[in-house]
Amino acid sequence: MYARDIMSPRFHILSPANSIAEAVKMFHIASVEEQKRIFGLMVIDEKDQLVGMLSMYDIILFIQPKHIHVWSEIEDLEAQAIFGELLDRVKSVRVSDIMTTSVVTVKPQTHVMAIADLMIKRHIRRLPVVDGKNVVGVVYISDLFYHLLEKFL
Amino acid sequence: MPVVSTRDILKGLLVEEAMRRQVIQLSHDVSLDKCINQLIKFKVNALLITDETRCPVGAVSKTDIVGAFYGGLPIAESLSMDIMNGPLITCFPDDELGVALDLMRRNGVHQLFVQGAEPCAMVGTLSYSDVVALLYRYCRACPKGAVRRSELTDCSDQTQLLIVRDAMSTSVISCRQEDSLARVIEGLTAHRLGAVLVQDAKGLPVGVISKTDIILAYHHGSSLEVEARSIFKAPVASCDENSLLSDAIRHMFLKDVQRLFAYAGDPSRIVGVLSLSDAAHIRSGSCRACITSRIIAAP
Repeated sequence: MYARDIMSPRFHILSPANSIAEAVKMFHIASVEEQKRIFGLMVIDEKDQLVGMLSMYDIILFIQPKHIHVWSEIEDLEAQAIFGELLDRVKSVRVSDIMTTSVVTVKPQTHVMAIADLMIKRHIRRLPVVDGKNVVGVVYISDLFYHLLEKFL
Repeated sequence: MPVVSTRDILKGLLVEEAMRRQVIQLSHDVSLDKCINQLIKFKVNALLITDETRCPVGAVSKTDIVGAFYGGLPIAESLSMDIMNGPLITCFPDDELGVALDLMRRNGVHQLFVQGAEPCAMVGTLSYSDVVALLYRYCRACPKGAVRRSELTDCSDQTQLLIVRDAMSTSVISCRQEDSLARVIEGLTAHRLGAVLVQDAKGLPVGVISKTDIILAYHHGSSLEVEARSIFKAPVASCDENSLLSDAIRHMFLKDVQRLFAYAGDPSRIVGVLSLSDAAHIRSGSCRACITSRIIAAP
């Protein structure tokens, strides 16, 4: 059993030039259309090449204030309102500015056990499947999970 | 005759109490494109650059990236080693904070790397804002500080509290909306500033351009000829010059900004700028009790 057998051939992508607001909308659309929570999206440039990944973690890391530990000590804080103002300041930031550029990928012929090993050792929840220079699918940890544990269903 | 020495509010505080334990490091052969990605993503002032053996060889700061933009270096082809600075300016976790602050000021840097037991092991970073954050937390806990003052029965004595004017710099550099980025960079570099105020044709403040905005413009492929109006951030984060310093520091932390422009009564009349480094230099979060603790004392 290989990556090509368990990957999702349908996937949503982001452009490096997308704004953070556009990325958030795409996360929502992808989750609705795939009927499962999508926590990370591939970033593909105009040449159809994979240039990065953007996860919800990347976005939260970026929008959180640098000195969040000071926030946690201020009891009389209208956090929601202040956070709203912070979001206004990320308007000029694009996906390419905060995406993860070192992306681990697998080939269609990568064995599922090798995929499991990668996901566990590198704490990865999704792996783009790349054939040559083109992305042909993505293996989510849930795909792998239900494939390996099908017997219990 | 007694030997005169000074006491400092930072006396006894060590680097390890204020430092951040995450060190963002990149290899010396990565592109400037990747450097900017990491500077923005992790909101740091400088990156640690390592050689092929993962030993630190230098640092790339936002200032270096702004210089690369001004110098016309191609962002994808130029490497971190082309612009990095070395040797690294470092301190140790058990150094006193005051010593580390002086080291930053003497070398004109906003961030130090904290060296571990091994020469190649960097265990953290220390920036001005980290020092101010630590002091602010002490001030919040201090019963004499501005934060707790409202809880005191007699809060009529406001004379001990520091205000923004006590710490701010009165040298404010501004540019026009139609000025080119090249001109903005020249202004920032000439005055060794982190940000410049943008004014409209009537001289009213309309926004701010920081080094972060400039490196974002570089990352997005902008040219040096684009106008300041295309990248400035609005509104201007500001406060009255008579505001309490502790309120201004809190404001900077909550808004996640490095500086506040100070106005005199009217927000359109900017008279100074307070940065987190100014606040760090004054070595207090809120009141003169801390300042006067730097009294001359005989050992």
